[in-house]
Amino acid sequence: MTQAELAEKAGVSRQTVVAIEAGKYAPTLELAFRIADAFGVPIGEVFLCDASEDGK
Amino acid sequence: MSYQEKRTITMILTGIILLSSFVLYAVLRIQADIAVLGDLKFWAIAMLVFIGIGIGATILTQILFHIVFAVSVAVVEERDHAGCDEGKVETIIKREMVEDERDKTIELKSNSIGYAFSGFGFLAGLILLAVTGSAVYLLFSLFGAFSIGSILEGFVKLNLYRKGC
Repeated sequence: MTQAELAEKAGVSRQTVVAIEAGKYAPTLELAFRIADAFGVPIGEVFLCDASEDGK
Repeated sequence: MSYQEKRTITMILTGIILLSSFVLYAVLRIQADIAVLGDLKFWAIAMLVFIGIGIGATILTQILFHIVFAVSVAVVEERDHAGCDEGKVETIIKREMVEDERDKTIELKSNSIGYAFSGFGFLAGLILLAVTGSAVYLLFSLFGAFSIGSILEGFVKLNLYRKGC
């Protein structure tokens, strides 16, 4: 799936997909679910939460 | 460069041109002795006129920008695929113009910085008023702070698009 196709399926711009991939933007939970839905997999398979990054 | 970034650059340029025009207008009027610095009514009218021109210019620039953007998409499509499919061009334009949650987040963050700058401008104006006793400095400070605040907002927005938010 191309970035443009994913963007269209998730209802966002391609630049947002690029930013998420590059770690420059943390999507909302709603968008994260939509992206996971576009891939047809559970959200945990697409997004991982690194607690150490938040200093926790 | 995305549609939103290009749009932001257009708005920054419009803001810079308008502010420069006002500064030039003010300096020329004062130098030619057409206006005195303490004439509050004259400056208030001049600022109102420039705000009106600013709103008009922003709307016009956005319309022109959209036309130029649509034409450039069509030209690129024609060049790359030898044949301009109107439907495809329309789809590309719609796809590029999508405003999503990231755009709204960036908008909110940049707005808050713009408002903060305007707030500091008001504070600076009050200090100038307290020191000089002339309300015209407050007026200039407010006008400048809002104008520069809006330009700054654009730069912050661009930075957030580039560096992430």
